Amino acid sequence: MSIQVLRIAALLYAVAATFYVLYFARPRHAALATAGQWVLGAAFLFHAGAIGLGCKEYGGTEFFSLRGGLVAMAWLAAGAYLVLQRLYRIPTVGAFIVPLVLVVLVPALFFTSPNLPESLPETVRRPVLTLHIISALLGVAIFAIAYVVAVMYLLQEREVKGKHFGALFSRLPSLDSLDQLNQRLVRAGFVVFTVALVLGAMVARHVWKTAWEWDPQQISSLVIWILYGVMVQLRHTGWHGRRYALLTIAGFVLVIGSMVTLNVIPGATRHGGTFQ
Amino acid sequence: MSVGHEFFLVGLSHKSAPVAVRERVALSGDLLRDALVDLHRRGGVQEAMVVSTCNRVEVYVYAERPEAGRRFFLDRSAEAEGHLYERTGREAVRHLFRVAASLDSMVVGEPQILGQVKEAYGVASAAESAGTFISRLCNRAFATAKRVRTETEIAKGAGSVSQVAVELVEKIFGDLKGRAVLLVGAGKMGALSAKALRDLGADRLLVTNRSPERAAALAADVGGQAEPWETLHSLLALADVVIVSTGAPTYVITRELAAHVMKARRQRSICFIDLAVPRNVDPASGELSNVYAYDIDDLQRVVIQTHAARAEEAIRAEAIIEAEVMAFARERETRAALPVLAALRRRAEEIALAEAERTIAHVGERLDEKGRRSVEAMARAIVNKLLHGPTARLKEAAASGDSDLPGAAAELFGVEVEPEEGRRGERDAEAATNPEPHP
Repeated sequence: MSIQVLRIAALLYAVAATFYVLYFARPRHAALATAGQWVLGAAFLFHAGAIGLGCKEYGGTEFFSLRGGLVAMAWLAAGAYLVLQRLYRIPTVGAFIVPLVLVVLVPALFFTSPNLPESLPETVRRPVLTLHIISALLGVAIFAIAYVVAVMYLLQEREVKGKHFGALFSRLPSLDSLDQLNQRLVRAGFVVFTVALVLGAMVARHVWKTAWEWDPQQISSLVIWILYGVMVQLRHTGWHGRRYALLTIAGFVLVIGSMVTLNVIPGATRHGGTFQ
Repeated sequence: MSVGHEFFLVGLSHKSAPVAVRERVALSGDLLRDALVDLHRRGGVQEAMVVSTCNRVEVYVYAERPEAGRRFFLDRSAEAEGHLYERTGREAVRHLFRVAASLDSMVVGEPQILGQVKEAYGVASAAESAGTFISRLCNRAFATAKRVRTETEIAKGAGSVSQVAVELVEKIFGDLKGRAVLLVGAGKMGALSAKALRDLGADRLLVTNRSPERAAALAADVGGQAEPWETLHSLLALADVVIVSTGAPTYVITRELAAHVMKARRQRSICFIDLAVPRNVDPASGELSNVYAYDIDDLQRVVIQTHAARAEEAIRAEAIIEAEVMAFARERETRAALPVLAALRRRAEEIALAEAERTIAHVGERLDEKGRRSVEAMARAIVNKLLHGPTARLKEAAASGDSDLPGAAAELFGVEVEPEEGRRGERDAEAATNPEPHP
């Protein structure tokens, strides 16, 4: 059941992405951006429904797998973009983010049911775990948007510095606004990610009896946390522009890289999975 | 319609006359208003409007003859003779549409002209020299200009060097609120660009020059603040956009200076716009991160591209203009048929009611109140039914541009259209085309 609803959501994301991309190509038709926003809102709601149904069907364990994580992250990224859209009115960014949401979601559509880990031990079923998962995924979703904005910055910088003022030049937002947005996203993502780390340590202490275990997941999370923390700090010393965008991109590559590797290599981490 | 009136244009523009002639006939403010009143008072002129900008002076009259328009120019300067162009009827309409849509401008697609035509219409309205015809015409012209603007890309891109500079700065800094612009040197183009940037919202405009007197004069001219040349380094640390146009034969801003300044700025972005020839900003400065450097060639190249793109768009714009001119002409002809219809209807109703009265007088005593009303209603119904076909056909003929049929109808039915009653006639005709259902 949840997979059907998820497919509807994916279809709506595709429609929204089309509207946003068309708007990017034809910025004079502001109605396209508005349409994209509404369809994206609908997709977000269907997606929420799919997640809710999934929780009912599988008892929430699906989010311990990579598939479930990606589904939830795509949802949070879409939600974060909807909020961002309200705050900054930057429909051109949608042409980059919504397709990305769709790409993240597509692999999940091919599995009719999530490859569930064995049933969750009772000791782990605590609200702090749920909060840990939500905050971690939200943090990554915000980093994903920051990554997209950083890519847009580099594209626009290439246009501006390279002195060819073509289609991208006129359609992408100004360097300053992209840079500002990037910085705010990094800061917000860092705060959310910090919360996720603290909650994670609390879960670990409960399940593993120790908050810090030198588990590969913990190590990579710490590295990521330090990297983004350094970026927040560097901002105060005047770092911005190209170098900042490159750092943002590197940070996100690290996030996705560790997320995928640790989930794909069996037994690499005790994080997630069976908790044994 | 006021029989015998036509729409004329007499004017001169950057295409036909040098500035020395144009400035002699250009008008604004009270003078323009007085001139309009004067024009309007002349014999045979029913309506008048004058578009006066630095690139064109054009007199539009709805009159019997274009003479009043010619006199307007020759009274002001005998030199205007030989530089004037004249258009009549549909040609004049097309000209106004093209002007409003910025197709006749020096820089095709520049946005100011529409506002200037709107202003001209506003002045003419205030002076009561613009009547029904010019109002309809101008509204159509404005709608056409808007169509051209939204349906073609004629206004896209930057049409002048200072516009390119503004666009660049916008793409680097977004809005300029809270930012400072520094103008180095006294070049004319630099002053223009600085002004454009200040209009964009820059908070501070600093001006510096080797000669303090010239700096002060320029600062007063552009509404900035003069700063001594010796403080250039600290000014560069302060300003976000630096427009350089000095007469110096070498780089005023070297790569080393730029690197030094960036340290002082803590890497905040800076944009150099070098309008000087020979160049004043080392192009290698642009290699530094967060430094953006452009010279006059970079900007000029964009202007040339824009002009080429606009020339292509102009072809599409002309098609829109043509369609709108046709539509306007059709509307006008439809209106021309309306007085004939109104007169026809008035005449028919007069006859019908007179006949009804005669009948009632004959058989009056045998009819009660209800019966009398029935007779009158019958007379009206006959008129309505009888005129229904001709009304529809006349409107159709007028809409398709056939102006012979209304004349023929007037002749055939022996009705006369009084010119002074044009407006009343129209109203009657509009009512006549929606006949009330008979009881």
